[in-house]
Amino acid sequence: MSVDRIALLETTRNQDKTWEALAPHYGVTNPNPPWKTSLTAMCDCLAVNGALPALDRRKAEDELAETLYSDIPSPERELLALVHTMVSRGLVTEADLASRMSMVRARLETV
Amino acid sequence: MSHTHSHGKPGADTHHKAAPMVEEITDYEVLEIAVRELAIEHGLFTAEDHRRFTEWAESIGPAAGSRLVAKAWTDPAFKARALKDGVKACKEIGVDWAEPTGVGTPSDYMEFHVLEDTPTLHHVIVCTLCSCYPRPLLGMSPEWYRTTNYRRRLVRWPRQVLAEFGLILPPEVEVRVEDSNQKCRFMVLPVRPKGTENWTEEQLEAIVTRDCMIGVALPKPGRTADVHPIQKARRPVESSHQEAK
Repeated sequence: MSVDRIALLETTRNQDKTWEALAPHYGVTNPNPPWKTSLTAMCDCLAVNGALPALDRRKAEDELAETLYSDIPSPERELLALVHTMVSRGLVTEADLASRMSMVRARLETV
Repeated sequence: MSHTHSHGKPGADTHHKAAPMVEEITDYEVLEIAVRELAIEHGLFTAEDHRRFTEWAESIGPAAGSRLVAKAWTDPAFKARALKDGVKACKEIGVDWAEPTGVGTPSDYMEFHVLEDTPTLHHVIVCTLCSCYPRPLLGMSPEWYRTTNYRRRLVRWPRQVLAEFGLILPPEVEVRVEDSNQKCRFMVLPVRPKGTENWTEEQLEAIVTRDCMIGVALPKPGRTADVHPIQKARRPVESSHQEAK
């Protein structure tokens, strides 16, 4: 398991934008962001279909949680660790991800 | 964005304020969507799989576990069956470990054991390796259950960790830590507390909280929720959601 930094995730990580920081700022009491369940389901899907076994994912997450992403709280840390592991294993590429993130943001900001 | 909704006849005084929400799109939200879309496009899983697992994750909670415990407390024959074959007994309360989501098991587990506490024996569950948890019965695991702090320290210093949850056990009570894994899950069947002798199953279910079935709390009359500290706003924003004082 590589613990080399991934440039895209370094620009994505932001302590001030975690749910733990934003929820109290906006007076929101839900302990988890709306995307948390989707993240959990994604982990289940990857495990069931064999692309990323649960044990491999957890081992990688443990390692990354104590190194690169130790300053980021859960569930953002889980997300970063999952994506980091997927990129490291070649399941998705950093370039594809960067491009898709731009598309997704543009879509979400369209009103 | 702040807004109000009006329902009923025009002019009727039925305005209510929308609950506050996080009113910005973070890169984390964008990242989760982006990686999911790519995973689906690459054939790592289907959108239909993801929808079903999301619905399942949203639907589960500790209610099924509470039901199992209350039934075991009131029905000795069921308790014997639950201790002998947990997976089979779960079907009696409507939980099928083979098909919890309707599309297959979320992980590769098909063994489940109910751990019976006695006045001199207390069980507590953990997953030292990762985060294995009896989700079909207890729902999603709490965040603290998945921390390396809990996972590493519980097996070494169980009494100290339990004390941090406010559970201080006398020395004559043996503490047994059961380590879950990908193939096998556990839950705790606590001792039925005094003062509940004539209670119905429904009344009993209410005091069997998630933490009691993990083993970091004990059921007792009047305790119906796992209370955890509430985060208070450090820099609350001024908005129309807040009443003027």
